[in-house]
Amino acid sequence: MSEPLLEVRNVCKAFGMGGLLARYRFAAVNDVSFTIEQDRHEIFTIIGESGSGKTTLARMILNLVPMTSGSIRFRGTDLATIRRPADRLAFMGHVQPIFQNPFEAFNPLKRVDRYLFTTARRFTDARSTGEVESRADLALRKVGLSLAEVKQRFPHELSGGQLQRVAVARSLISEPSLIVADEPVSMVDASIRMSIVNLFKTLRDDLNVSIIYITHDLATAYYISDRIMIMKKGEVVESGPARTVLADPQHPYSILLRNSVLSPDAKGELLEPQFSTTERDLAGTR
Amino acid sequence: MTAIASPAPGDVIAKPQREPVLVVSDLRAYYQTHYFGIVREVRAVDDISLHINPDEIYGLAGESSCGKTTLIKTIAGAIQPPLNVVGGSVRFNFGGAPLDVYASTPQARNAIRWRHLSYIMQGSMSVLNPVRRVRQSFIDFAFRHIGQPMPQFIDTIVAHLERLHLQANVLDAYPHELSGGMRQRVTIALATVCRPEFIIADEPTTALDVVVQKGVLAMIRGIQREIGSSMLFVTHDLAVHANLTDRLGIMYAGRIVEEGPTAEIFRAPKHPYTANLIHSLPRIGDTAPKKGLDGVPPNLAEPPPGCRFHPRCPLAMDICRRENPAMEPSGPGRRVACFAVTRGEPS
Ligand SMILES: Nc1ncnc2c1ncn2[C@@H]1O[C@H](COP(=O)(O)OP(=O)(O)OP(=O)(O)O)[C@@H](O)[C@H]1O
Ligand SMILES: Nc1ncnc2c1ncn2[C@@H]1O[C@H](COP(=O)(O)OP(=O)(O)O)[C@@H](O)[C@H]1O
Ligand code: SF4
Ligand SMILES: [Mg+2]
Ligand SMILES: [Mg+2]
Repeated sequence: MSEPLLEVRNVCKAFGMGGLLARYRFAAVNDVSFTIEQDRHEIFTIIGESGSGKTTLARMILNLVPMTSGSIRFRGTDLATIRRPADRLAFMGHVQPIFQNPFEAFNPLKRVDRYLFTTARRFTDARSTGEVESRADLALRKVGLSLAEVKQRFPHELSGGQLQRVAVARSLISEPSLIVADEPVSMVDASIRMSIVNLFKTLRDDLNVSIIYITHDLATAYYISDRIMIMKKGEVVESGPARTVLADPQHPYSILLRNSVLSPDAKGELLEPQFSTTERDLAGTR
Repeated sequence: MTAIASPAPGDVIAKPQREPVLVVSDLRAYYQTHYFGIVREVRAVDDISLHINPDEIYGLAGESSCGKTTLIKTIAGAIQPPLNVVGGSVRFNFGGAPLDVYASTPQARNAIRWRHLSYIMQGSMSVLNPVRRVRQSFIDFAFRHIGQPMPQFIDTIVAHLERLHLQANVLDAYPHELSGGMRQRVTIALATVCRPEFIIADEPTTALDVVVQKGVLAMIRGIQREIGSSMLFVTHDLAVHANLTDRLGIMYAGRIVEEGPTAEIFRAPKHPYTANLIHSLPRIGDTAPKKGLDGVPPNLAEPPPGCRFHPRCPLAMDICRRENPAMEPSGPGRRVACFAVTRGEPS
């Protein structure tokens, strides 16, 4: 067996909440472990309540924030040892992010096509304007856009869904082997949602990319994922083959999650306010 | 009360007819830009008419970039160049105080608007000031309106946060210390604490996990019922509409193409676009390959002639390529803009 593509071992991240309670620390991510194999390309889904640490975990995998304890290895290399700028750049080419809220991910003062051009210059051999533009256009076409549509535009001139498709396109430019997608479809409609998750399937099946797919959307998770991990309050409460877990969840939180999915077949029936007790003490009391 | 003089087309439902709170007529709003001498006109809202009744939740659905946000910005009077209103009108009627948004002075507009209308914008961070604690945002936003002395005011806020299952200590947090879901609930709390008569909400629950989303929707519905406000609720998530909204408008490429009671639209969609949206929804337990709609959303700077859906429509006919189908009544309380529907029906 070759080395795993990604090995997450007992990872913890504590934050001090200066604003809420002085010197109060809590674990945003608590003892999380999982492995993605090199030779089995898969879509690994992470589902969990708001504030359960999914984004924090994603940021650690992307080596954007240091962990408090534990280790993450990418193809055997401990992320903590990746320090030289050249190594960091190479790592970033292999592991690409797609962030949660496109409105926050793009600098409002920067034209969106610049992001694509910068990425193409950094991670590919494209140098001339023509080459760079054709890389950008190629990537945009994979997500149903074209350079003509986004050229010269600022983020506020694109809709949420368009912006998110630009983000997916940008992540494809460096031909990564792992994509960490933090709620990539939260902002887009059902039709684009299906085309993005189908795109993930294609990336996995044809381009050998593994994808960490963080989402709230259990229906698409069921539809595309191989394995799933359910998080609550920074901890993993259940994990396993996606369809088994979603069809027959065991942990009480997984069951609550499953039962909270709004059915499109419901006929305007009044929603029962139904919070998990844990949701009540989300803010700082753990 | 009898409804012989029906106030608005399509509104045939036998409810006691009260005057609509909002009437939008033939509204057009375009982004008009000049890049290096080239004029570009994005027709994001192109000839839209709708009305919203008191005590009603009107849902607006449609694919990304079809113009939902632009439409509700225009309705809220929150537009700035390059977005311009090119035609039509937006009229509110708040308990006898009429407001024609684009015929009033900015002062008159603001005076009425901020008292009666509240707008939850897409992207939760935008209204929360990143360098100030949440408490300060509430003070800036609601203190004057609520008019209580500070300690009572804070009690009111805390009680309101409690309904959204947020604890008092979020008031001391900075926005970046809260997760996306918590921030979103804070913005909903901000928007509802003054009990507005009309709430406009743009994708207010898309950042939430399903458990919290369900609770927040129930809370939104609860507040709406309690204060009897009307609501314009925008989301591309059809499952949310199915559970929350009373009436639904389906938007495509800057136009409303179908409208009717939400349950009826789900039961029997008429417009081919609506039918595709409803049938392509993934459901847990279903692994049959599902495709998004073929083709790409039209470029609103150069929309296709005729019916804007024709390049992607399985039922497209000759006339569809030439003429634009108007919204026409089609069954009780329903309107649809499609030749295949309106020409196919005996009239
Ligand atoms: N920079 C920070 N300082 C302090 N606390 C933080 C910081 N970033 C995140 N947190 C806290 O860590 C927890 C996890 O946040 P995170 O954003 O990772 O959650 P999430 O699962 O992505 O939630 P959502 O789905 O709502 O976005 C939250 O309680 C949040 O308040
Ligand atoms: N400031 C702007 N300048 C030019 N075009 C814009 C601007 N804002 C939005 N658009 C365009 O208007 C259309 C509708 O956008 P929007 O209302 O945000 O859609 P939605 O909310 O349905 O996703 C899109 O084609 C978008 O690119
Ligand atoms: S008018 Fe024609 S093209 Fe448009 S939706 Fe109806 S059948 Fe399709
Ligand atoms: Mg997150
Ligand atoms: Mg929008």
